[in-house]
Amino acid sequence: MQAAIPLILNAMTLISILLLVSLGMAIIFGLMNVINLAHGEFITIGAFTLVVIQGLGGSFWIALIVAPMVGYVIGLVLEKILISRVYGNPLHAILVTWGLSLILQQVIQLGFGSAPQPVSGPFPGPVTIAGVLYPAYRLFLIAFALATFVAVVVIFKKTRFGLDLRASIQSTEIAAVMGVNPDRVNAHAFALGSALATLAGVLIAPMAAVTAYMGINYLARSFFVVLVGGAGSIPGVAAGSGIIGGLETLLSYQIPVTVAQATVLILAIVILRFRPQGILPS
Amino acid sequence: MSSGLKKIHRQAANRMRVPTLVAVVLVLALCVLPIWIDGYTLNNYRDILLLGLFALSLDLFWGRTGILSFGHATFFGLGAYGMAITTIKLGLDPAWASLAGLAVGVLLAAVVALFVGYFILYGGVRGAYFTIVTLALTMIASHIAIGWSSMTGGDSGLIGVPPLSVLGYTFYDPVSSFYLALGALTLCLFGSLWVMHGRFGLVLKAIQDDETKARTLGYKTQWLLLKTFVVSAAMAGLAGALYATGTGFVAPDMIALLLSTEVIIWVAVGGSGSLVGAVIGTAIVWQLQVKISSISFAAWPIAIGVFFILLVLVFPEGPVAFLARKLSKLRGSRKGEAQ
Repeated sequence: MQAAIPLILNAMTLISILLLVSLGMAIIFGLMNVINLAHGEFITIGAFTLVVIQGLGGSFWIALIVAPMVGYVIGLVLEKILISRVYGNPLHAILVTWGLSLILQQVIQLGFGSAPQPVSGPFPGPVTIAGVLYPAYRLFLIAFALATFVAVVVIFKKTRFGLDLRASIQSTEIAAVMGVNPDRVNAHAFALGSALATLAGVLIAPMAAVTAYMGINYLARSFFVVLVGGAGSIPGVAAGSGIIGGLETLLSYQIPVTVAQATVLILAIVILRFRPQGILPS
Repeated sequence: MSSGLKKIHRQAANRMRVPTLVAVVLVLALCVLPIWIDGYTLNNYRDILLLGLFALSLDLFWGRTGILSFGHATFFGLGAYGMAITTIKLGLDPAWASLAGLAVGVLLAAVVALFVGYFILYGGVRGAYFTIVTLALTMIASHIAIGWSSMTGGDSGLIGVPPLSVLGYTFYDPVSSFYLALGALTLCLFGSLWVMHGRFGLVLKAIQDDETKARTLGYKTQWLLLKTFVVSAAMAGLAGALYATGTGFVAPDMIALLLSTEVIIWVAVGGSGSLVGAVIGTAIVWQLQVKISSISFAAWPIAIGVFFILLVLVFPEGPVAFLARKLSKLRGSRKGEAQ
C-alpha cells in the first residue's frame, strides 16, 4: 500500500497537468471546433511569462496572475486578425495555426536562446502524506488544477458569457437572432482558451525544461484528451485526462517514458475506433 | 458503358493530359541531365528526386482524397530507418542486405499505415481529425527514433548505410544512383498518373466530393481510402529507404514533424492533385530552402510559417494557380485597354 501512494500521486499530478492543458483545448477545439495547433505555444508563452517576471525579480504568484492576462490579450488579437478568418474550414485552421506555431517557436528561441530557462516554483521541499514524502509543489498543482476545473464549469453553467457561448455553439444563427453577438462570443471564448493555456504554462514551468519547444509535447496529448474524453464536453476533459494521464503514469513504471507516451497515443487511436464520439460525449 | 459515363471518363482523361505531358518532358529532361553535371551537384539532384517521390506519395493521398496527412514523414522515416537498421544492425550478407533493407523499409511503412489507417479510417475519422491523428503519429515516431537509442542511434542517428546493390551491381557512383532515383520516381509517377487517370481516380474524386453518396452507390469507400493510404505510405517508405542509401546515414530529422510540414508545402506549391506538380514544387522549394537556411537557422521555419498563413489567407488555391489567375487577369485588362 505504501508503495502505491507515490504512484497514485504521480498519476494525479500528470492528470492535473493534462487537465489544465486540455481545458483551453476543450473550449477552442471541442466547443468552437477550431483546431488550434498553436495551443502548445500558448503554454510556452505562459512559462516564459514566468521566466520574464522572475527575471525582473517578481514572484511566482505575480506570474500566475499576469500570465492568463497576457494569454487573454494575445488570444483576442490573434482571433481578430487570423482565427476569425478560418472558422468553418478546419484545413485552413490547421495550416494557419501551424504556421503561427512555427513562427512563435522561432521568435521565442531567438529572444531567449535555446538553453532551458531557470524558473522556481513555490513550496520547495517535500511534505509527508500518508507516511510518504512527496513534493509539496505537486500537491499544490493538483489542488489548483481541480479549482481551475471547477471555475471553468461554473463559468460555463452559471454566467451570462457561458450561456451565450453554449447557445452559439448549439446554433450560431438562432443565438444571433436572440441578440448574442457571435463575433464577440467567439473572440472571448478563444481568448479564454488561450488564457487557460498560459495559466497551465506557468504551473508546468517549475517541473519542466522551459524551452521554446516545450509546448509541442503537450499538443498531441491534449488533442487526444479532448477526443477520447468526448469533443464538446467539459466533464469529458476530466475523463480524457484521467485515462491518458493514468495510463501513461502506470506504463512509464514498466517501460521507458517515450515508449509509454507512444503506447498511450496508440491506445487512444484504438479507443477512437470503437468510441468515435468519446467516453463522455456532450 | 453509357455515353454519359464515357463523357465523364473522357473529361477525367483530358484533365490529366497536361500533367502527363509535363511529366514526360520533365523525365526526358532529367534523363540527359548527367551529361552536363556530375559529382556533388548530381547527388543533390538525386536527393531532390527522392524528396519529390516523397511529395508525390503525399499528393497521391491528399490531392486525390482531400484528406491531409500530417504524418507522412513517419512513413518516409520508417523507410529510411528500416533500411539503416537492416543493413547496419542485423549483420546480413552485404550482397543482399540493402535489398532486404529496401523491403523492410517499404513493408514497415505499409504495415504501420495499414494498422493506423484501419483504426482511424474505419473509425470514421475524416478531415481535420485525420490530420491530428497523423500529426500525433509523427510525434510518436520521432519520440521513438530519439528515445530508442540502442536501435536507432538516438539524436545522432545511424551512420554507414551502404548504397543499394542488386545482384552484384552497386549503385555507388553519382550517375548510377541518380538514375536509380530517377527510375523509381518515373515508375511511381507514371504508375500514379495511369491509375488516377482511370476508374479508380474517378471513384476517389467521388469520395472526396461526397463519401456518403459514393458509399450509397456501392463503393466500399473505407477500403478504397485505406488502400490509397497504404500505397501512398509504401511509396513514402520507398523514397525514404532510397534516400538513406544515397546519403549514407539516417537522423531523427528524417522522421520529424518539420519534414511532415515541409512536404505539405512542396505539394501545395506545385498545386495539389496534379501529381507531377508535387515533384516540381519540391525542386522549387528545395532551392529556396537552401538559400533561406543559409541566412540563419531560424529563418526557414519562420518562412514556412509565413507561407502557411499566406497560403490560407492570400492564395488558398495554391501559389501557381494564384499567379496564373493574376496573370490572365492582367492580360485580360491589357486587352481591354488595347480595344
